[in-house]
Amino acid sequence: MTTLHGQTDAKTLPFTQEARQPFRLAALKRGWLHVVMVPLALLWLSPLVWILVTSLKTRTEVFDPAAGFLPQVLQWANYPGALSVAPFGIYLVNSVLVTGGILIAQLVTITLAAYAFARQTFPGKNLLFTLFLLQIMFPIYATFLTNFVTVRELGLLNSLPAMIVPFVASGYGTFMLRQSFRQVPTELADAARLDGCGHLGILWHVYLPLVKPTLIAFGIITVVTHWNDYMWPLLVNNSENVRTLPIGLGLLAKSDSGADWTRLMAATVVVVSPLLLLFVIFQRRFVDSFMHAGLK
Amino acid sequence: MVISTALSARIREAGLAYLLLLPSLAFLAAFTYWPILRSIWFSFHDVVLGDSKIIWLGLENYQRLLEDRLFWKAFGNTAFYTVITIPLAITCALLLAVALDSKLRGMAIYRSAFFYPVMIPSVAAGMVWVFLYSASYGPINKGLSLIGIPDTAWLYDSKWALPAIMVMSVWKYSGYFMLILLAALKLVPSDLYEAARLDGISAWNRLIHITLPLISPTLYFVIIIGLLHSYQIFDYVYVMTHGGPADATNVLTFYIYQNGFQYQDVGYASTLANVLLLFVGGLIAVIATVFGRRVHYLGR
Repeated sequence: MTTLHGQTDAKTLPFTQEARQPFRLAALKRGWLHVVMVPLALLWLSPLVWILVTSLKTRTEVFDPAAGFLPQVLQWANYPGALSVAPFGIYLVNSVLVTGGILIAQLVTITLAAYAFARQTFPGKNLLFTLFLLQIMFPIYATFLTNFVTVRELGLLNSLPAMIVPFVASGYGTFMLRQSFRQVPTELADAARLDGCGHLGILWHVYLPLVKPTLIAFGIITVVTHWNDYMWPLLVNNSENVRTLPIGLGLLAKSDSGADWTRLMAATVVVVSPLLLLFVIFQRRFVDSFMHAGLK
Repeated sequence: MVISTALSARIREAGLAYLLLLPSLAFLAAFTYWPILRSIWFSFHDVVLGDSKIIWLGLENYQRLLEDRLFWKAFGNTAFYTVITIPLAITCALLLAVALDSKLRGMAIYRSAFFYPVMIPSVAAGMVWVFLYSASYGPINKGLSLIGIPDTAWLYDSKWALPAIMVMSVWKYSGYFMLILLAALKLVPSDLYEAARLDGISAWNRLIHITLPLISPTLYFVIIIGLLHSYQIFDYVYVMTHGGPADATNVLTFYIYQNGFQYQDVGYASTLANVLLLFVGGLIAVIATVFGRRVHYLGR
């Protein structure tokens, strides 16, 4: 996974995209492919369609087998109705603070660590790098119990930092960034050193501007992951003013024991739309980030 | 003199490197490695959540685990979920990626259609699927009734609840794996396909004998990613079934949660957590030995 991308960058391949057709299917055959793919894509999209349609129905329409697929009258009132049940404004602010906090903290820690691993020599380098890499194998789902005990001892329960601290160091991010740093020509750093730049100056002025695509890719993955986090925030907070959006949504589902699906789906739309909108607007960036995340 | 300046420069360089690593290392130590060590330590003790007193038990927790039928059930469910869901999602992803790689028109739309579930929070996805699976008014039952399948409360049926969550997982993650595989497919040189095609080798054989070996490093990576993502089943179980019905969807992460947080038995929950780590670690080791050696790196 480490070598593939570095060795054969798409740009250096000696043939163009047009010339390269792995399974050159005749036009007819490709038409058949659409016959399979269109229903599949619709199948994949159907949960989203159901969320939207249900969020605009009346409660009776949801349960009435005779009611059609689409609502008779669009019930926009479901949205303010859902949002008034819980302080979603506070949840939104908390989500932004937690996700932003994790992102900034990670960018700082991985930049510093990746530079050390990419460009410096020191005893114990390989061992330490292995410790960083192994972290990928120990996600919070594997360590949540004793991490909870630690966070509790630190007196951080029911606070925003509790949701941030386990994610400050990122072995994965460090690895991704180290690979990028290593591709920066050392001549650039040497030139900067002759101009009187120290290590941190070189890092800031030479390396970081050159690895922006990697930083953005990592940033997108981190934001998607932690914006959607459920388990850890669920365990460490138990009070209204530190809840994040996913936790608020989960509570709404629990409290509505009568299964008020219309409101629940309206709240779901509100919770999922920020990321989905960003995804639609910056589709290329998102796709590229996730596409190459494993290869760089 | 020359030697000592060189030496002190190296020491200074190493000192700076450690300084740069310090923030990461501190958090790595506190929130990744300390919890693991602690969990091993706790597993030999009786530890009650919120109580600072711990009592040495030796191997008692492990003995209890061997006789705990619910543990074996949760372990079985975890293994079943992992071993079926990951290959299923990856096969699905591979077929989608191959289809999209043939310069299909509307590629961007297809790609988004399959990828968007990754953007949806697990709790929202879980909730929506509870709705989709519900009896009588759920769309899935409505659809299946058209082909004569009787109304079923999928998530309340001990036979179907876990498979139902697995189907949802395939929907949630295939798009992500597809995207990574798509990136790998784009790097496969087309002259190989040309040559094979001229030799009259069928599309299926080209897939098996050319494509798969060439993208094997990525496939390997996707399997590991899939394994790590399968931990997330906790979210779905918590939201959709809470382990039920009759523990049919109780998986190790959820059983750890139940023991640690509901019964406050941190010692036993730690024991379970260690078993989970060993299980996933063991799977990764098996995959690495079976698969890792056969991985074919382009040009190496």
